[in-house]
Amino acid sequence: MFRVGRATIVVERLLRAVRDPRAGAVVVFVGTTRNENAGRRVVRLEYEAYARMAVSEMRGLAAEARRRWPLRKIAMAHRIGLVPVGQASVGIAVSAGHRGEAFAACHWLIDRLKEIVPIWKREHFRGGRVWIGPQQGGPGAPRPIRRRAARRAPASKRT
Amino acid sequence: MRIRFFAALRERMGARADRSVRAGTTVGALWRTLVDERPEIGKVPVRFAVNGTYVERSHRLADGDEVAIFPPVSGGA
Repeated sequence: MFRVGRATIVVERLLRAVRDPRAGAVVVFVGTTRNENAGRRVVRLEYEAYARMAVSEMRGLAAEARRRWPLRKIAMAHRIGLVPVGQASVGIAVSAGHRGEAFAACHWLIDRLKEIVPIWKREHFRGGRVWIGPQQGGPGAPRPIRRRAARRAPASKRT
Repeated sequence: MRIRFFAALRERMGARADRSVRAGTTVGALWRTLVDERPEIGKVPVRFAVNGTYVERSHRLADGDEVAIFPPVSGGA
């Protein structure tokens, strides 16, 4: 299951999608919207996606994960639109024969998703909103925050 | 040529645009045309996709391609 949409992320659905009798481990990552960023109080987050490409990039990441680790099934979902603080914006589930590869693949998948899947986050806080990442804010917007500069796409993929 | 913009770039350029370019024009050349029209967007770091796949600036466009231009992604929680 690979999904980008406005619907709430349901962990049970992710679990169902990766259920497999050959699996001895299922690892689920759920990313939730945090109430602060860079010292600013965040009231909600908003996500925009190039949905068709986002889903195909997710499929591509899953295919690559399968080449790296012996996995059973993978499910990925990302929410778009307004997401209140404390709710899930992204969910990834991986089943595998053993927990080592399930943990490793799930960690790798969320890191890569943040690097290449075409989804953008806008933070809403008291008094304004700002796109996250090295983008230009609108007039009067606070300086955009660079998050985790270490997590960047490889040079070959960047322009 | 259909062009789609996203996130901060969409707010400046609108969600979609149409430009006629000759077949074989590179994505980079198309971008330079757009920056000539709106110099302020030249400061935004951007990535390009054609028909839903990442491409480099040197990628040559064909008739009917959908070009997407967007700032670095920032999905996840």
